[in-house]
Amino acid sequence: MKYFQTNESILFGLLVLLCIFLSFYNPQFYSIQNIHSILRSSSTVMIVAFGMTILLTSGEVDLSVGALMSFVTVIVMDVINITGSISLGLIAVFGFCLLIGLINGLVRTVLNVNSLIATLAMMLILQGSVYVYSMAAIYNTHLIPLFSFIGQGFFLNIPMPVVIMLFILPFFVVLLNYTRYGRYFSSIGSNPDAAKLSGINNNRYKVLGFVITSLLVGVSGVILASLMDTGQQGSAKGFELIVIAAVLLGGTSFMGGKGTIIGTILGILILKIIDNGIILMRIPQEFQLIVPGFILILAVYFDGIRKKNSG
Amino acid sequence: MVSGKKIVVDINFKELKIESVSKSFPGVQALDNVSMKISAGKVHALMGENGAGKSTLIKILAGAYSKDTGNILFDENKLNIRNPNDSLNYGIKVVYQEISLISEFSVAENIFLDNFPTNSLGVMNWNKLYKDTEELFNRVGFNLNPKSKIADLSISQQQMVEIARAVFKNASVVIMDEPTSSLTPNEIEKLFTVIKNLKQNNIAILYVTHKIDEIFKIADEVTVLRDGQHISNKLISETNEELIIKDMVGRTVNATFERPKDILNAKTVMKVNKISSKNKIKNVSFDLHEGEILGFFGLMGAGRTELAKAVFGYDKITDGQIEVNNNIYKSFNTSTMVNNGIGYITEDRKGEGIVKDMNLRENMSLPSLKIFEDLFIINQKKEKKAADEYIKKFSVKTPSSERLITLLSGGNQQKVLVSRWLIRELKIIILDEPTRGVDIGAKTEVLSLINDLAKQGLSVLLMTSEMNDLLSLSDRILVMADGKISKEFYRGKVTQEEIFKASVN
Repeated sequence: MKYFQTNESILFGLLVLLCIFLSFYNPQFYSIQNIHSILRSSSTVMIVAFGMTILLTSGEVDLSVGALMSFVTVIVMDVINITGSISLGLIAVFGFCLLIGLINGLVRTVLNVNSLIATLAMMLILQGSVYVYSMAAIYNTHLIPLFSFIGQGFFLNIPMPVVIMLFILPFFVVLLNYTRYGRYFSSIGSNPDAAKLSGINNNRYKVLGFVITSLLVGVSGVILASLMDTGQQGSAKGFELIVIAAVLLGGTSFMGGKGTIIGTILGILILKIIDNGIILMRIPQEFQLIVPGFILILAVYFDGIRKKNSG
Repeated sequence: MVSGKKIVVDINFKELKIESVSKSFPGVQALDNVSMKISAGKVHALMGENGAGKSTLIKILAGAYSKDTGNILFDENKLNIRNPNDSLNYGIKVVYQEISLISEFSVAENIFLDNFPTNSLGVMNWNKLYKDTEELFNRVGFNLNPKSKIADLSISQQQMVEIARAVFKNASVVIMDEPTSSLTPNEIEKLFTVIKNLKQNNIAILYVTHKIDEIFKIADEVTVLRDGQHISNKLISETNEELIIKDMVGRTVNATFERPKDILNAKTVMKVNKISSKNKIKNVSFDLHEGEILGFFGLMGAGRTELAKAVFGYDKITDGQIEVNNNIYKSFNTSTMVNNGIGYITEDRKGEGIVKDMNLRENMSLPSLKIFEDLFIINQKKEKKAADEYIKKFSVKTPSSERLITLLSGGNQQKVLVSRWLIRELKIIILDEPTRGVDIGAKTEVLSLINDLAKQGLSVLLMTSEMNDLLSLSDRILVMADGKISKEFYRGKVTQEEIFKASVN
């Protein structure tokens, strides 16, 4: 019952219309390669967006996810190249992401810096320090097949990134909708004073939100590195904007208090299919940025109207 | 810049007359047929407890509220105050308690904010700005540099700027609302000099305060309001502190409750030991017994809410400790206190109480979600059942527990917030102004609910500025002033006068 609230039904309808339209326009849309490519590139966005949904629900935002993700591709490739061990590569990645998430959370809660600014600063720091780490792109010299499988492989004919996303998904649907943590996140975002006066340790959950998001960036970053077979400084530049746009399009409120994982997934699929449609229709690539920009404004505008009418 | 339709007012007058002014809000008669006269060149003190009607009267004079009936006149000329602008054009200027200056601007800029001297192209004439400010300061006897930045001034200096801004053109009446509440004794003396200067400029001054000693230093006459009614008007030479307090508090308590006599022998459930906080609270200690209603009285700004929040862990304590359930806490947060069976109901229902994006059920269960959990998942059936039980118990008017909280009326939201704590095992509840904004009929209902809960063994910290609530319920009364506890009284062994006196010192 909670899966499809009105907002989500509208998004779902929009998604179906888009698919019908595109399949009439170009039957290529339904080719298995095209669908795989849409799902594969959606998955990395979705994984990070699960965390971003939690953050926005609790009234925070993380702009450093793109920079962190680029950094992760560099670290994972470099560490596996040197050690020859995927496990050590993953340990390095998640250790680093945990640290960045903690720093973001503590700067927000202990130093009381607005998260828009705190994570913008973190973005700059990461963008700069990745060059300190390595000036050049790091190519896959270890050639371990399992590593390539993470991003490029298939399981039961489903791309691995999708499998990983589907593996994580239920955990977040349940977390946000059916556990007390979900309630805590939305009460903190909706009315932090009321949450605190109900005995909730707001800061603890905010830090948790940042840490979860950073760890999910770790997952997506490893997939991206495997897909590209490279670790590269600017590989996920601007990624944070797509994630935030999709989460907002999905119906999560930028002011906090209201978040939906299913909405987020629909939002990402819509943006990615529009992306895909622009390519299939041979429209100039610049529109891949222009169209989502307009859609985002409209989505948030209609959401505001809807809220006014119901409030 | 001159606006076209300014009312030109002759502000030569002997008296500002307020004749039979009444104002009511739903459920409350805020002002009931109040008359008074404020003479030009005199300081007229207006006194009364919280809720006596002082603020309402100020707001009517300032044009923020419209009066229901009655007249306001300069001598025999009726004033037509429809909005704040009319009031300003008549020269009625209010200096509020809170400073409302732009702290990054200079003194002169703040004073002439809506009236910058400019040349014909609209470019600022800085020289004239500073010169005009200087002239104004000479006239009212201020000693301030027009070029200093507001942020660099002391509070009393900022207040001077507020006053200068109020009087810089056509001031006829200056209303000061608790002007000394944030000043040091030294600064108060300076303010009084300013007031004397205003008097010499033939301005009528309405001085609103609850500090009695001040009015004997500065006022020429004093009017006392109580429950929206005019109680007395005397020349300062014809009255004294005792008489004024008697006029302010001489109200009959309209409901008292039977309370157990030996409650102070019950076991201690909470020991607060010398706590202080950055937020006003200084060295406060008290014990709370099982089933006791401990009343905290204090005027606006005495630190009641701040104490409640410090005890509950909302504000960090900087000193001292709290003992509860045999645990001693020096550093704790709200979650510590909730886990110890303590609940808190705020006076600010909208701002700090309800979570507007959640429905009734989710609002009610927020602090108690653990008890509805099966493993990690919330058992919504169990949760809904509990919500339904309390909807029935308090007859909350709602179609179901799934209704968005913001769609309920204020009173029903309040019932949900009370249920929020009763739903779980509770030992102590902190109530901040539980009857504020509640109409008179429902007040007694709220008070008797508190009494019933205490009889079932719940200990209550009752923070209130309502003498009636305090006297009808409390087993013990702690009076607060300036963040400290100034006196302790016992049920039935205290008069309103004694409580009030303790609260103004």
